[in-house]
This record gives sequence, structure tokens and C-alpha cells, in this order.
Amino acid sequence: MPRIFPYLGLFVSAVLLQIFLFDNLSISVYLNPLVYIVFIAMIPLDARPVTLLGAGLLLGVTMDFAMGAAGINTIATLPIAFFRTYLAGMACGRENVREGGIPSPERLGHRKFVEYLLLLTILHHTVFFLLEALSWGHIFHTVLRIAVSTVVSTAFIWIIARIFTAKLPGRI
Amino acid sequence: MRKLIAFIRSVYVAVLFVILEVLAVSYYAHSSSYTQARLLARSNQVIGGVHGFFAGVRRYLFLGRENRDLAQRVALLEEQLAQYREAETAERLDSYVRNLGESRYRFTTAVVVGNTLNRAQNLLTLNRGLLNGVEEEMAVLAPDGALVGYVVACTDRYSVAMSVLNTSFRTSGRIADSEYSGSIYWDGTDPNTVILGELSKYAEPQPGQEVVTAGFSRYFPADVLIGWVESAQLNETKTAYTVRVRLAAEMSRLNEVILVADRDRYEIRKLQESEQVEQHTRVN
Repeated sequence: MPRIFPYLGLFVSAVLLQIFLFDNLSISVYLNPLVYIVFIAMIPLDARPVTLLGAGLLLGVTMDFAMGAAGINTIATLPIAFFRTYLAGMACGRENVREGGIPSPERLGHRKFVEYLLLLTILHHTVFFLLEALSWGHIFHTVLRIAVSTVVSTAFIWIIARIFTAKLPGRI
Repeated sequence: MRKLIAFIRSVYVAVLFVILEVLAVSYYAHSSSYTQARLLARSNQVIGGVHGFFAGVRRYLFLGRENRDLAQRVALLEEQLAQYREAETAERLDSYVRNLGESRYRFTTAVVVGNTLNRAQNLLTLNRGLLNGVEEEMAVLAPDGALVGYVVACTDRYSVAMSVLNTSFRTSGRIADSEYSGSIYWDGTDPNTVILGELSKYAEPQPGQEVVTAGFSRYFPADVLIGWVESAQLNETKTAYTVRVRLAAEMSRLNEVILVADRDRYEIRKLQESEQVEQHTRVN
């Protein structure tokens, strides 16, 4: 398990950023960025599926505990941990995924990197907001929340990912 | 058997995912707002301190606005307080002169709101004007009855009086208990003394003698205390004394004053005017 400290730092800063910054952004009901999933997005592409799933569980439970949400974060985070390999393959090709390494614009290409982040965020936010609404009654409202929050979250996740990958040595 | 193990190996992550997801969903489904609140309370024990810190930071950032609001509130209250004070002052001033009855002199009172001592032409500003019955040429006296000046200009709510400490101020004064009189003026040097000039050489003023107004002043009733003789000096031709008079009124500590109007003077003037009118009509 190399590079444990950068990931520990990323986990802590993602969780803290979410709790103390983004959860307090009461700008609009449509804007609820959930950026903590940057931790899942940054796990090396060649990580074992069970590691990914464990990371998702840990992140989800932590966020549930911190936000006082009974399971909703876990429910939304587990699928992106589980499906990440397929999503990454969809976004940037199976060869890239098999090659491994930390996802970064340099490795995947700028466009593909953004696509990869966007796919993860859409999946996570869709599950999260649908579950939060728990009704098809205000589906337009919910879809709008998903769309707006996804765009904003992806932007912030991209920024955090850039900072994270910039800090790491180039050999990875 | 080996195939089974291989199969399990290939799907155990998916199975784990499904199990975990089912667990989470069932927990979420069985959760109530009470569970969530309890969860949040538990987590607040951990992150509450940090939350408190951020709340403190945010409070600090909003201090400016809070301050501004408070200052506005203070200004509002100050204004109200000032209104009450004004009303209280007016009530107090009126109470001085209530139930005095009719006399030749009409009294009213005022508060000095502006007073200078350091100029050659010192003026007093009083907080009462035409609406309160203050008129031009009213005498201004200190609370103990000592001469201060006379009103020279009035607006509706304020009036300005010429202080005795004004080089343009002129009135007539005399040594108390004697017939000798001279003119009172200020030489512009000492705010505690005025000059009683052109006093007859037979008056022989002694230090400590009272100086009062002579009766034939345009503004002042007779026998208003001006001050006490401090020193006297015969002029070069030895025909008259120039007397330095220490003022009875403490001009620097003047706060409230009494205003005196001579009703007879108005009556006389009115009479003159009516005569003129009569003459006028006769001419026509």
C-alpha cells in the first residue's frame, strides 16, 4: 500500500471541505455540491475492486456520520465505488484503465478526465438526490437539482483533483 | 469445486456490494428523523468544536454589519433621548415663570446653547425664540439676576443676544445708592470685568461698591446688578472716573438665563404708533 499518506490527506480534506464548506453553501436549493467523492475518483485505476468498495463504504459511512444522514451517502457512494472501473472504461478506454495509475488529466487527457469525473458525479448525484426526494412527484425539480449540483460539483472536484495530482511525483 | 471458488472469487465483490447496499438502504429506510437527529448529535460531539470555530469565524466576519446596525440603533435612541431631554428642559423652564401674575415686566427663561468669550464681539445663542415669546431688545439676566446682555435677533425657535462682553454693548450704570451714573462698556480685554466710564469725579467710587443699571436704559429695568467696583481711576483731565467693574454674572459658566421684557415699553410704542396712524388719517 504505497502512497497511503497522500490518500489519508485527501480523505480528510475532502470530508472536512464537504462538512465545513460545501454543506454551508446555502445559496440555492438547487445547489448542493457533494465534492467528497473526489476521494473515490482519485484512487488508482488499477486498485482492486474490493479496495474500491471498502473505500466507498468508509467514505459513505463517514459522511453519513458527519452529516447525520442515515445511510444516504453510503447508498450513493457504494455504486460509484463499485461501478468506477466500468465508468472509467467508458470514459477513457479499457487500455488506460488496465495501465493503472492515478487518474489525472495528463494520463487520460483533459477531455476524457472531465468526462470521467462527470460520469462519476452524475451517478452519485442521481442516486443521492433521488433518494433524498423519495418521490417522482417533483421529478423536474429533482432533475434540475441533479443537473445544477453535478455541474458545480464536477468543477470543484476537478480543482481538487488538479491540486492532488499536482502534489504527487510525476512517476505515478 | 475449483470452478466454484473461481466463480465466487469473480463475483464476491459484486455480492459484497449488493449486501452493503441492501444494508445501507434498509438502514436508511428504517431511519426516522429521530435516528438522524441522534446520529447528528453523536457526530456533533466530534465535529462540534470545529463547527464552533467556523461559526466564530463567520460571526467575526459579520461583526462589521452588526456594528453598523447597532450604531444605527444607538443613533435612533440618542435622537429619542434628545427629544425627551428637550421636552424636559422646556417643561422646567416654563415652570420657573408660571403663576407669577401680571407685572410691568414679563419674564421668560431660556437655555444658553451657544456662548463665546474669546472674541471682541461675543454673542449668546438662546434656545427660545419668537414662538416662546422672546422678542428683540429683551434683557438677558443671569439666574441670580445679574446683567448678561440683551436680545438682538430672534427666529421662531432661537434667539441671539449681545453679551455684555461685546465691544458694541452700551448701557448706563450707576453706583448703587448714589445718583452718579456713567456708561457701561467692555474694553475687550478681561472677560470678568467691564468698564464704567465717564463717572462723575464727585462719585468717589470705593472698591466693593455695587454697580447697577440706571433706570433710563432702553433695555434693562432699573437696579439690575452689574457687578462690584474693582478699581477706579481719574482720567487725565481729572473730570471723570474710569471704573473697572467685576462682573456679577459668571459669563463662562452661563447655562440658563432669564429674559425680561418691559410691557410698558411695548405699550408706549404701540401708543406712538396709533398716534401716528391717527395723524395720518387726519392728514388724509
